[in-house]
Amino acid sequence: MGEFEPKIVGFLCNWCSYTGADLAGTSRIQYPPNIRVIRVMCSSSVDPIYVVRALMEGADGVLIGGCHPGDCHYINGNYKARRRVVLLKNILKTMGLEEERVWIRWVSASEGQKFADTVTEMVDTIKKLGPNPIPTRWDI
Amino acid sequence: MEGMILVKDGDIASGCNELFKGFLTSGRIEALLISRETPNGKMAFPALISDPEKLGSNILSPILPVSEASEISRMTINKGSDKPIGVVIRPCQVRALTEIVKLNQANLENIVVISMDCPGTMDVNTFSNMPEGKVPTDIIMDHLLNGTDIDQYLRSSCRTCKDPVPVNADITIGLFGVDLGSGFLVQAHTESGERLLEGVKLEAYKGEREKALAEVRGGKDAKREAFISSKKEIKGIEAIADFYDKCVNCHNCMNACPICYCKECIFNSSVFDSDANKYVHRAKNKGIMKMPDGALLFHITRMNHMILSCVECGLCEQACPSNIPLMDLLIPVAENAQKELDYYPGKDPDEKLPMVVFREDEYRSVGEK
Repeated sequence: MGEFEPKIVGFLCNWCSYTGADLAGTSRIQYPPNIRVIRVMCSSSVDPIYVVRALMEGADGVLIGGCHPGDCHYINGNYKARRRVVLLKNILKTMGLEEERVWIRWVSASEGQKFADTVTEMVDTIKKLGPNPIPTRWDI
Repeated sequence: MEGMILVKDGDIASGCNELFKGFLTSGRIEALLISRETPNGKMAFPALISDPEKLGSNILSPILPVSEASEISRMTINKGSDKPIGVVIRPCQVRALTEIVKLNQANLENIVVISMDCPGTMDVNTFSNMPEGKVPTDIIMDHLLNGTDIDQYLRSSCRTCKDPVPVNADITIGLFGVDLGSGFLVQAHTESGERLLEGVKLEAYKGEREKALAEVRGGKDAKREAFISSKKEIKGIEAIADFYDKCVNCHNCMNACPICYCKECIFNSSVFDSDANKYVHRAKNKGIMKMPDGALLFHITRMNHMILSCVECGLCEQACPSNIPLMDLLIPVAENAQKELDYYPGKDPDEKLPMVVFREDEYRSVGEK
């Protein structure tokens, strides 16, 4: 067995973070290959159910990427997404599940480097946390 | 407007029934939605009553089989009432009603909300299977008069009630801080409440209501706090998975919940439908997979969707066929989540739901390093 390689599911908004990830690629910026990207129209369209389901099906972390505050294509979707993540993390925390596995970050379309840095930072953090314990139970 | 209504022999239930009968015969309301015991006395349901002679209500009957707020939603969701209707509901249901109005699921036009100080309710099975010689109403009355401990009979959410005194009702029937041997207190808080009470003979109230309410609320708060700290060990994936492992995915908790209102719930939709190939693929992830899957996903998602508006009525727990003590987790989760987003469900009808508002300068650390 080699070193633990976390699986990260990324929900990236179409207008900023996904384009930022695209830029990281076209600019040939190197970042860990641990993230699986799902493009969504807005960070606020990520219902907690998709985050929780990813964590139950084996993801070690979930990254939600949105536009910077004030820059949302839909005016204020990212502010609403932020509140949702606050609530989700609070619920996971009360239940003793690891809220540190859920991240929300702002990456603009021009921030290819920030996207790469965010993924690198997240992979490092989750490597320290270890594998997600939720999928160890088959009866959930 | 407030005052005492005197009754003979301390028969509060009959006194209240007479008051409600007066509301109906005066023609000021067309109908009254009120809990009514079934003929065998072993069950009760909300009934919409237009004929004063059919009223026969017992306000002390300690049972809440279904959400009264949901029934008001059923009647008014498409169109508000043209004619005044009175609804006699418990404090938790007034809070639930306030929340579902914010969710655009009920219309309070021409609805006069009447509520009462609530001594608590029993589980449906406790209520209908009382030992020989025990009468639920007598147990409640004994508690109100002599302060006997009735926690053994109450549902857990009633033992730890968030607030047994109604807020946002048009009329309150006061039972706490009142000499129940002589009668009960009636308070009108709004214009529509006062209109309904016009002409009702009220005696001056002499008592220390505020002090009594503070005492009752303080007692419940202490029990709720002790309850929350006694459930601290339900933490971590092992404990949580064990907690929900009796769940049979029936979704009764969701159907009984006054706050869960979606007509097309994602869990009843085809979003997660799959085929054999995909199931096998998923099974291979862990080598084993429970069928049906998704019980824990359902509970955590449901919490995310409704917890900020959870009024802790406990109807989910009562509806669970596997007897999972759902409130053991819901109350601590609700307490923390509502504190985090600074929201008290059912308190202020004008306060917006936390998930539809935001401030630009809040939770900065969540989106940044």
